[in-house]
Amino acid sequence: MMRPYVQRSLCLVAAMAMTFASLVQADESESSARQSAARAILASESEQAMIVQDMAANPSPILGPIFEAWQRSQVYIYEAPDGARIPFMLMPDGSGSKAVRIDNGEPLVGPNGAPVVVDEATMKPVETFAKLRRAMRSTMDLLALADPAPATRQSAILKLGMKQSPEALPILNARLAREQDKAVKNGILDAIAIINLASPDPKMQIDALNQLKKSNSVPSRELVAKMAADEKLSPKVRAAAASTLKAIDNHLFWVDFFGTMFRGVSLGSVLLVVALGLAITFGLMGVINMAHGEIMVVGGYATYLVQCIFGTGVALAPFGISVNIPGFGFDSNSGIYQSYFLFALPVAFFSAAAVGVLLERGVIQFLYRRPLESLLATWGVSLVMQQLFRLIFGPANAPVYSPAWLLGSFSVGDVIMNYNRVFVIIFAVAIVVGTSLLLAKTPVGLLIRAVMQDRTTAACMGVRTRKVNTLTFAFGSGLAGLAGAFLSQIGNIGPSTGQTYIVDSFMVVVVGGVGNLIGTVISALGIGTLDQILQTGLRNPVIGKVLVLVGIILFLQWKPSGLFATKGRGLEN
Amino acid sequence: MKQEVSKKEVLIGAIVAVFLIAVIPGLNAFTPAGSSLHVSDFNINLWGQYLCLAIVAVSIDLLWGYTGLLSLGQMLFFSLGGYALGMHLMLMIGKLGQYKSDLPDFMVFLGYTKLPAHWEPFAHFGFAAFAVLWVPGVVAFIFGYLAFRSRIRGVYFSILTQALTYAACLLFFRNELTLGGNNGFTDFKTLLGFDLGTPGTQRGLYIASAVALVLVYVLCRWLTLTKFGKVQRAIRDSENRVLFSGYAAANFKLFVFVLAGMIAGLAGALYVPQVGIINPSQMEPAKSLEAIVWVAVGGRASLIGPIIGAIGVNGLKSWASQAFPAYWPIFLGAMFVVVVLFMPRGVVGLPAQIQEAWRRHKRAREAAAEAAAAATQVPKDSQS
Repeated sequence: MMRPYVQRSLCLVAAMAMTFASLVQADESESSARQSAARAILASESEQAMIVQDMAANPSPILGPIFEAWQRSQVYIYEAPDGARIPFMLMPDGSGSKAVRIDNGEPLVGPNGAPVVVDEATMKPVETFAKLRRAMRSTMDLLALADPAPATRQSAILKLGMKQSPEALPILNARLAREQDKAVKNGILDAIAIINLASPDPKMQIDALNQLKKSNSVPSRELVAKMAADEKLSPKVRAAAASTLKAIDNHLFWVDFFGTMFRGVSLGSVLLVVALGLAITFGLMGVINMAHGEIMVVGGYATYLVQCIFGTGVALAPFGISVNIPGFGFDSNSGIYQSYFLFALPVAFFSAAAVGVLLERGVIQFLYRRPLESLLATWGVSLVMQQLFRLIFGPANAPVYSPAWLLGSFSVGDVIMNYNRVFVIIFAVAIVVGTSLLLAKTPVGLLIRAVMQDRTTAACMGVRTRKVNTLTFAFGSGLAGLAGAFLSQIGNIGPSTGQTYIVDSFMVVVVGGVGNLIGTVISALGIGTLDQILQTGLRNPVIGKVLVLVGIILFLQWKPSGLFATKGRGLEN
Repeated sequence: MKQEVSKKEVLIGAIVAVFLIAVIPGLNAFTPAGSSLHVSDFNINLWGQYLCLAIVAVSIDLLWGYTGLLSLGQMLFFSLGGYALGMHLMLMIGKLGQYKSDLPDFMVFLGYTKLPAHWEPFAHFGFAAFAVLWVPGVVAFIFGYLAFRSRIRGVYFSILTQALTYAACLLFFRNELTLGGNNGFTDFKTLLGFDLGTPGTQRGLYIASAVALVLVYVLCRWLTLTKFGKVQRAIRDSENRVLFSGYAAANFKLFVFVLAGMIAGLAGALYVPQVGIINPSQMEPAKSLEAIVWVAVGGRASLIGPIIGAIGVNGLKSWASQAFPAYWPIFLGAMFVVVVLFMPRGVVGLPAQIQEAWRRHKRAREAAAEAAAAATQVPKDSQS
């Protein structure tokens, strides 16, 4: 019964030990903090809470792990043969755990110099009581106020404020005097205001409400709403509360609005990246490539393989043949491993382009005059490719890890921006700009445009149209490969991933109007934003998506050839 | 100019129809189980399913082969028909369900206490049977009206039909639609009072499917012989010329699209009690594409080709997806590529294609021989 608990707490202690190890050079504040912690542990029950509270004046990061260990019954007292009582805590050490003295951080040794072996089953840990635990918690809160990271300070301040206990006011004011960071300063003012909301003095309350109104404090919304509805408060206070509530709600509306827009643009960017290759092969060449999604997945798997090669390699077993791909074995925390994605991009591009060349030479070149049949044949190819992926990489999604720099978020005026969404937008901009520059400014782009506009005339001018066809298709497929690499960073790559994007990407190209990239860009961003607005408005992603599809069908009523139709004289187009 | 059906065709058609409708079920019912002529209950059920799929294939051929409309969402109409009858079948379960409630099990599970109003009429078989036709018909009419009015053609039409079935598939996966969510409908017990578990009922359903297939075939064959059929093919070959000749091509297309949708709905309704389940995965875009494969492999614009294709490919699938599950999709995909690239007229058109190729080959050889003869004659002439 005891074991699992001990195991779990050892894990926790392991996490703490990492903090521990980084503080090898014990500075003065640490050693004095250790001394007082040891004193608190040895003190009588009545004194313990007081000592712990006093420790807030002498902050040190070491107190965190010690308090945690204490609360989790990992702190013991060693009775030395000479009568001294030495408090210690257990820290994991290889398979077992070792005893570490709390007063100086040294390993606990017996009189003969050998480490003391502790039997957890028989030793009795130093107990904690409710009052002591409370004291520890408030000391920890106060310690967090002095944390070097502003974000930690801010959340600690908010937490303290939300308790609405007036005892925190002197601490917050003291911190306010010392605080340098402007955002944290505002946070302290808000926290003080939130505490003052509970004050019996109506003037204080109104001042506090005005402060919260000025700063549009979202966390205080619930409290303010309660005050606005409270019959017992004076009308003046209630009016101020109502006005603050309105200001906060107004602020929240804009935060929601910009958040939705931001998510919409980032979803649109995903669609754009996915559809861009299709805008080349379908929009410019008129080839319906139903295997486009699978070519994208080729790029995703290429990224996966590059990741494996940077790591420990991978063993694949296609068709019962076992293939071992060795890896460089870079450490997963090293910078070079983290930047594998940059190396994966060209690999994804060229491997997808190679598949594109095979597809064009093998199937599509025979079907340029029969678009419906190219649709069917490429669907056959997509079936084959999906099954090949399944046989080579297995039916499960390939575990592609996003680099650490893609995790996390930052916020601009309460609008939360995830790094990976920002990455999505930057990636889309880069790839669109690159593609349009290539088409508009390079000799290759000139050839591509010439052949797509008028194949016969281009051929008469000496352009080798067959080669240009292959090249264009390879380029479109390469873009799909980049999209796959990109999707591997924000989503899953599996054998049927391509299928989830194919309908959407065709929609983007059809709505944008074939034959130009601007239409594709606008339609991708438009569809993405509309989708997010509907999703947020209806709180139902699927109905939102269905409505988007219905909207597209209705849109095509109005503009049957998309946003930007290429005008031609041909009757059939 | 009127095309006539040859006596030979009528005779062969009648023989095949009698064989499908009477002989196969007769062999199932009246021969002992060990006999070499016996058709097992399992096979009757399987063939009943194949015949339903063949009906869908005929409807696709009417659209694609004869009118040039490649619909990538035909299985949507099939599923709608299946769902319409499925609702009736669900209500016929009554208290025999796991929860012993008058409501279908999934509704009890989702916490419904009362049958939603739009379910009530489906308690009547007549209404459900009628809905099997009009529900797909109405959906096809609305979509077709919008699409053909704005002259959405060719690949755009295909892509939009695919989006339509995809949207419907997403919608049907939702529980809010009160159509069973991703589990759909299953555990059917009775149809018109007949126990669906007995071989007799299954045989009846088989016969119904066979009769439906024959009727649909005759209807489509007749339609393609009339002037309507001629306009249909003219639209396929050059829609603009049809427009210039003063025909409202959109109305013709709309009629064919709705008719094909209703035929597919009928097929779905016959299919569901035989296979015992209907769920949204039947609407996935890939299912409709698979149905296109049957038509392409059998041979489009022939009506008989799609039937052969649907039965052949599905028979092959039943066998191969058991024998080589890992390689079947590769085989199906590769077969499709080969058919599209090298056999544009499918299996039915293969003899004619081979004949043509042989004739071309022979002509080329004769021409080569003549040229060689001429070449050897020239010096003779100069000698004399």
